[in-house]
Amino acid sequence: MGKTGWAWTWFGFLLALDIAIPWFVLAHVEKMSGAFLFWTIWVVVAIISAFVIFLKWKEARQ
Amino acid sequence: MSTTFWVWFGIAIYIAVGLAIAVMARRGLGAGMSEFFLANRKVGGFVSALTYSATTYSAFMMIGLAGLTYLSGVGALGFELTYLCGMFMMVFFLPRFWLVGRKYGYVSPMELLSDRYQSKGVGATAAILALVFLVPYSAVQLMGVGYLVNGISQGAIPVVAGIIIAVFCAIAWSNIAGLRSVAWTDAFQALIMIGTSAAVLGFVVALLGGFGSFFGKLESAAPGLLTVPTAKGAWNINMFIGLALPWLFFLISNPQVSQRLFIPKSVTAMKQMVGGFLIFGFIYTLISVLWGFSTTLLVPGLEKPDLATPTLLALPIIPMGLAIIVMIGITAAAISTIDSILLTLSSVWARDIQKGLINPKVSEAGELRVGQWVIPIMAIIAFVFAWWAAGKTGLAFMIAPLSSAASAGLLMAVPTIFGAFFWKRATASGAMVSCIVGAIVVLLFQLTGWKPLGWWPGTWGFIVCVILFIGVSLATKPPQERAEEFIGYLKEKLAEGKFI
Repeated sequence: MGKTGWAWTWFGFLLALDIAIPWFVLAHVEKMSGAFLFWTIWVVVAIISAFVIFLKWKEARQ
Repeated sequence: MSTTFWVWFGIAIYIAVGLAIAVMARRGLGAGMSEFFLANRKVGGFVSALTYSATTYSAFMMIGLAGLTYLSGVGALGFELTYLCGMFMMVFFLPRFWLVGRKYGYVSPMELLSDRYQSKGVGATAAILALVFLVPYSAVQLMGVGYLVNGISQGAIPVVAGIIIAVFCAIAWSNIAGLRSVAWTDAFQALIMIGTSAAVLGFVVALLGGFGSFFGKLESAAPGLLTVPTAKGAWNINMFIGLALPWLFFLISNPQVSQRLFIPKSVTAMKQMVGGFLIFGFIYTLISVLWGFSTTLLVPGLEKPDLATPTLLALPIIPMGLAIIVMIGITAAAISTIDSILLTLSSVWARDIQKGLINPKVSEAGELRVGQWVIPIMAIIAFVFAWWAAGKTGLAFMIAPLSSAASAGLLMAVPTIFGAFFWKRATASGAMVSCIVGAIVVLLFQLTGWKPLGWWPGTWGFIVCVILFIGVSLATKPPQERAEEFIGYLKEKLAEGKFI
């Protein structure tokens, strides 16, 4: 699988976690350290992943 | 002096500064569609990031999302952060839009589709989808401003007055210098948005005894709001997917933001745009949700959750000066979104309907004139819708669900956009049939309130849309030569720029 394929797979994995963890793992944790903290960390991971990819971009000739 | 006076005073200052910036942006404005609607594709990274942020984040955040958090708790955070996670797709779409925009000179995302599928019908279908579904989305921005000035003035200023102010500013800022005035006023407004919202949140959290005490109070006062689904049953998985799915693809489905992918002046500017936006979005989302939670503690029991922010700002515990500054920040968020929508819709009308369908021989100056006329017309339509919806109650007429419902319609263009970049076998018939039938399904389900299996209209519409797009494309003939050339060009340039 190429880099694009891996990036799509990683994105799909993040989306799977988006549902799986809050609804099936943290559904009974009535604290800020539950779904609130999960989603905050989860999106930071997504943002860092995007940075890792786009910081490699370089100017292309038109 | 009365609160009402200071509200008017604050609005007057805001309008004066905004107008001055817009007029300054007019200096150096050249002729032509690309100049007016895309600032000649020469926008720097800092302004690109701020205009993208201000266009994306609207009254929806500090009023709609805060109201949704107030009503339904932490699921609102997951819903909004799912959008931000969807911005990961920028790594695929930003370079692609940008490269083909420069190579082929596209002004609107619909023009890209028309060219790629070799069918004016595809662009026109996507254009009509945008014209229909962006009206409610524009209207919620106006409603947000109306609720806000009405709430802060404790009813002294009617909702409709706020709506009229927003319409006036949006028309002015999009007409004065096109994207130049919109981008520069957006940049100014984005800074106001984030600065004022952070200030008021800090103030309220300090009132509640700091973050530790705030979280502790929230956990004891409303523990049911900290899980999904909530104790009262909100945010079951169907609701989450129904609201979050259209949001996930917002970056390509909403033309007012996808058009922004054409404007950075260089790859460095693109990087600054996406990086700046991700940081802005993360901070602004957390502020809006925490603000919503603070309203849960400070003004419990409201009948209309969208009024949580205005109600809290009107409380005597919030200094009037701070409340008015925040009001201006939220007004800025709303207007910076609606002026971008108006500008995009006018470019779409001029390029994809007027030139694409009605009069292909129209000159560029004629196209531009038509576009400039469309701006006030669309604003008036949004105004009428906002006035009507502001009088309604219930979840469907709250700002957040109404925004997401509008995006559910726009979601129907997503398979067509994916196909344009990633699937040579995609056809114009597949694109048009999937957009039209998908949109009809969404509209029917939304109007009837029908949710078979508990799935929301956007979910059903998207499933139908994807199946039709693939099925009809496989059964019809693709524009093979164009697809090879378009995707082949991208393949070569993507490799050259280390894009993926």
